[in-house]
Amino acid sequence: MDHSIALLLRSRLAPVIGLISGIALLLRSKLDVAPVTGLIHGRLVIPEGYGSFHCSADKTKKTNTRKYSRTKNYAEDKRPRSIGISLDTIQHSNCVQTTIQHTGSMAAPTVEKVQEIREVTRIERIGAHSHIRGLGLDDALEARQVSQGMVGQIKARKAAGVILEIIKDGKIAGRGILIAGQPGTGKTAIAMGMAQALGTDTPFTSIAGSEIFSLEMSKTEALTQAFRKSIGVRIKEETEIIEGEIVEVQIDRPATGTGAKVGKLTLKTTEMETIYQLGQKMIESLTKEKAQAGDIVTIDKATGKITKLGRSFTRARDYDAMGAQTKFVQCPEGELQKRKEVVHTVTLHEIDVINSRTQGFLALFSGDTGEIKSEVREQINSKVAEWREEGKAEIVPGVLFIDEVHMLDIECFSFLNRALESDMAPILIMATNRGITRIRGTQYTSPHGIPIDLLDRLVIISTSPYEEKEIKQILRIRCEEEDVEMSDDALTVLTRIGMETSLRYAIQLITASSLVCRKRKGSEVDVEDIKRVYSLFLDESRSTQFLKEYQQEFMFNEMVPDEMETS
Amino acid sequence: MAELWLEKLQSAQKTCLIQDGRRKIHFTFAEGTEMAEEYDTKTGDLLVRKWRKKGTLGGAGRWEIEVGEQSAPINLEMEGLMESNINPIFVRKDTQTHFQWRIRNLPYPIDNYKIVAKPEERQIIISTLNKKYYKKFNVPDLERCQLGIDQSAIEFAHANNTLIISYKKPSAVIEVEKRFQQELKKMKASKDGDVDCTPS
Repeated sequence: MDHSIALLLRSRLAPVIGLISGIALLLRSKLDVAPVTGLIHGRLVIPEGYGSFHCSADKTKKTNTRKYSRTKNYAEDKRPRSIGISLDTIQHSNCVQTTIQHTGSMAAPTVEKVQEIREVTRIERIGAHSHIRGLGLDDALEARQVSQGMVGQIKARKAAGVILEIIKDGKIAGRGILIAGQPGTGKTAIAMGMAQALGTDTPFTSIAGSEIFSLEMSKTEALTQAFRKSIGVRIKEETEIIEGEIVEVQIDRPATGTGAKVGKLTLKTTEMETIYQLGQKMIESLTKEKAQAGDIVTIDKATGKITKLGRSFTRARDYDAMGAQTKFVQCPEGELQKRKEVVHTVTLHEIDVINSRTQGFLALFSGDTGEIKSEVREQINSKVAEWREEGKAEIVPGVLFIDEVHMLDIECFSFLNRALESDMAPILIMATNRGITRIRGTQYTSPHGIPIDLLDRLVIISTSPYEEKEIKQILRIRCEEEDVEMSDDALTVLTRIGMETSLRYAIQLITASSLVCRKRKGSEVDVEDIKRVYSLFLDESRSTQFLKEYQQEFMFNEMVPDEMETS
Repeated sequence: MAELWLEKLQSAQKTCLIQDGRRKIHFTFAEGTEMAEEYDTKTGDLLVRKWRKKGTLGGAGRWEIEVGEQSAPINLEMEGLMESNINPIFVRKDTQTHFQWRIRNLPYPIDNYKIVAKPEERQIIISTLNKKYYKKFNVPDLERCQLGIDQSAIEFAHANNTLIISYKKPSAVIEVEKRFQQELKKMKASKDGDVDCTPS
């Protein structure tokens, strides 16, 4: 049973950036043709039950017709997932038609399955760990070989899963976990996976060990703030919200191109209409939310957070094509501004800042919080304890993750010893790639560069180097994340490179090789492309080799043999 | 009933200052709530009354204006968004005998407005037939004296793009205000520039 879903890509060429403004999916038996101009870039979520997909686009420009097509196989992973469509090769074409065809052997999708298709447009850039969506564990805390962007490291992930349960339980305070392993074995990935698995409501603070060294703040203050950022307090608070249907959003850029943008937002309810002037932050979050006329939104006045509730019923007929996820909502009644009681999680640090100075929470926006007096902290602690007793608030212990923990010095370590004993301490996760090394700030060496007394308070999760199969899998995931088509041979070659040099180097080559491939107008990355970038960019060991051979010809090397002799 | 309110005012810590022809009084109540009032020294009219409550998480909240106008300009970058000044502006400004609300920038003719008292919610609702303006508001003065809202006390007029709603003050409210004014007269107010104030 072959179902084909016509993907209608409707794009309006915006005056400044030619980017797609809307993607709509429709289940059609016949193919539709929609005129499109501009650059198409978007992502699709593939519903559960689909096997492989074929995505093609035809370009017709007066005489020449070019076909763009790609097929992806998603049979192994049956969950809904997203694939990237970036058909920038067909920019400025007159007519584009994209179809996604179900060709797999999975059960035929029903109409309900198609409901799950929704549009996801990427705003974030692709980072080193953006493919990680969780720890990849099942309900019994067993690690799946490949899941949620995680590959291998079964033991470490299982251990992280147990820690996760401790955190979710929320009873135990101040446990320390050390993730130790060689470079490029997925330590940070495990921490990111934990953060993802915990969800947005549990505070997760991630810092690097060297971050705390600042001239403006003492090391212990920086650490204390990081600790307090990792403890949440869930409390009920009355806030003012604005709820209404957007009539018009107008954002003006200054003619010079630089300077502040000015914005105007018209909102209405069934009874009234009001025009708001927008500040810089609000303009940004409106653009991020993609709020447009006809959307029903709520704006939290205190935080400026915008939530899209759905589209107005009156706009239901405006578009012929609509994502299945679009929810239709009644236009709100009565006044635009309302007072509402909401339960939200604030961190102890935020409460500290609000109470530490007269201008209060404004400091949170400017980011200049400075040092906070210990009296204020004590006061807040007793206040929070009081709220807890009265049942007004609830503590949400979170996680503090310190990457590159060997960069902390002996003072910080002894501070950590003490801080972990407090009953308000979060779960502390640290990661290091060092073996037996000097503790910063001393002459002593110690395992992982951490004093023994602190190590004694930690449980250690160790990661091991990836095997060939795992590297291949990771590279495949990264290819998908970076929207790169790669042939099996090329992937095998890249895996070999990954084994012999490093995983990070191999990952770096993915996008580089895809660019090389595009230059030669190829549709997928071939072995030749990999070879080319491998010769263009040196890895660490080849570079070292090169330096060993030609060191003499570099700067300041004339003196080296002399020095060697004297020493 | 009004006694309770008067007692509360008397028990509050008060600071008084005369500045720019205004008698400014600052009240701090036992639970930490603050109230600031400004009276015209010549006529004794109430010009401004605003409140500031402590936030749930601590820290001073912002001033909420009950009577009079916002004087300090709003910083758009701090606020994120604010109502544009071409919108209708709702201001309360009392006279000796009436509570009065003025809504500026409302160009529509008088038959566009419907003003209804909702005694059970203790609110007055202004709505417009063309669905451009809607406002629910209560009369805190009546609530403090624990009096209900009476539709017959409401009058309204429209002129110069302004809708004026008047509510005749009940005699109990006038009585409280009079007694409170006498109380205030007894208070020693420091002149402009003096810092020393006499709390009662």
